[in-house]
Amino acid sequence: MLLTTLEYVPGKTINKHLGLVQGSTVRAKHAGKDIMAGIKNIFGGELKAYTELLQESREEAIERMKEQAQATGANAILNIRFSTSSITQGAAEIYTYGTAVILE
Amino acid sequence: MEAYLEIIIFFVLLTLGYVFGQSLEKNHYRSIIKRESQLRSIPVIASKILPEEFLPCQTEMVSGNVVISVDYFKKFVAGLRSIVGGRMASYESLIDRARREAILRMQQEAKRLNADYVFNIKMETSSISKGSQNSIGSVEVLAYGTAIIIEKDAVKQTPPKVSISGNDAAAINFRTT
Amino acid sequence: MEYSNPKIPEGINTTVEHPLKEFFILSVGILGIIFCAVIILSLAAEKLAVYVPFKMEQDLIPEIWTQTKPETETIRQTREYLQSLSDRLANYMQLPDDMEITVHYMDEDTVNAFATIGGHIFIYQGLLDELDSENALAMVIAHEMAHVYHRHPIIAMGRGVVIGLLLSAIAGASGDLFVSQIVSKTGMIALLNFTRDQEREADITALTTVNGLYHHVAGTNDLFRALMATHDPESIEPPLFLSTHPLTQDRIDALVEYARKKGWDAKVDLTPIPQYLR
Repeated sequence: MLLTTLEYVPGKTINKHLGLVQGSTVRAKHAGKDIMAGIKNIFGGELKAYTELLQESREEAIERMKEQAQATGANAILNIRFSTSSITQGAAEIYTYGTAVILE
Repeated sequence: MEAYLEIIIFFVLLTLGYVFGQSLEKNHYRSIIKRESQLRSIPVIASKILPEEFLPCQTEMVSGNVVISVDYFKKFVAGLRSIVGGRMASYESLIDRARREAILRMQQEAKRLNADYVFNIKMETSSISKGSQNSIGSVEVLAYGTAIIIEKDAVKQTPPKVSISGNDAAAINFRTT
Repeated sequence: MEYSNPKIPEGINTTVEHPLKEFFILSVGILGIIFCAVIILSLAAEKLAVYVPFKMEQDLIPEIWTQTKPETETIRQTREYLQSLSDRLANYMQLPDDMEITVHYMDEDTVNAFATIGGHIFIYQGLLDELDSENALAMVIAHEMAHVYHRHPIIAMGRGVVIGLLLSAIAGASGDLFVSQIVSKTGMIALLNFTRDQEREADITALTTVNGLYHHVAGTNDLFRALMATHDPESIEPPLFLSTHPLTQDRIDALVEYARKKGWDAKVDLTPIPQYLR
């Protein structure tokens, strides 16, 4: 599965567009990490626990998007975009979407 | 006694949330799946670039939005979940429903305009009321894109062009619907 | 170029699991963990709090308690009577030398009596109204003094701080009002066991002290019996004394049994209560 944020894949022909595929997930860290992040918030700096949380969520969202694309029979996803929203306190909601295509 | 009353109210709310939330979700999914198959004739594409064979065409911005609230049961389970961490299954279906509903509403608008495709779709998600602990948990999804209305008469007169610049050049499988 | 919108299978972006399963696993797990954490922290607080010097405890109290307030003749008389009764009881309790008991009399209808940090005991007129004899009153005062003797107020305070921190941290992480309420309720239930044990401990010490003073234990359970009889335990608002002192038939039975085993006399004429306490 080829993933790209481009509109096209240089040197490859798109045979078929299979519409929008999406992946999303909502995840949270346990209370201990939330508390540590709260303390870290006093001093500033990178919140490792949350970086990790968002990264894990993003990976899962991509996995799910790939799964959707595979189900439609695509072999590439073009023009991928991400969006992050906080649906509830302490949880990360990651959304990713793109166009599933069949490349030559 | 007062404590009992609180517990009873809590369980009543939880049961109400569970029963109604689950049945609403089930019905919503059923309706989403039904409408998705009806609107499958209008493909939604995330690409920005229009193939030249669509020309001449009209473009129109279309959008669809929806605000869906979480039920009491889901909110409670999500609250518990955020203590131990992990995947919040109860919010995943909520947001999935909201996204698909927003796209469907956008597609419906495109259909009203007699559009053939929706290009360059973008999604925007926001939670309207979070923050204070007692607020209503709800999520707003906005889907927007450009509806492509191919001018049918014009298309019929011009045979599909085969040599288009760029990568989409070959293998054009032109559709007239 | 062909554009199409094929059907995508369900269940990719959602977790297919019965919601009730998640609910039960989470609630049982979390409540269990909180329960255990509260018990462990309470035990720790209990073991550590007794090392706090009583002097330090006295420094913690609000200044207003130690100031002399203007009071009417009856109030002064009542307060001094209660204080003298407590002083008499103190002789039989083997209180450490630095442990000084100060009795405060509150001219209010609330049916309550409580002990707090620094050896301060508060007794309300509402409770005095329920009493028939000095023996019953001595039992109440001795019970509160026993709390001070066993350092219960400072233990409760230390425990309150530690558990309050724990619960608010957990509740804050959830971000949901009702989850935080459930969390704190669980904490309270876990704590209730401790308060019950403390009450029993204080009861036995108080009974021993009262027996030391009067050489019998008659009338000691009268107040408890009276409160139990006049106030339906199912009623919406039990007297405050009962909510701070969880009172059960078991507790009365335990006291009667203890006195019987020790061979303490329980059928003697009671010492009347002074008229100005009415």
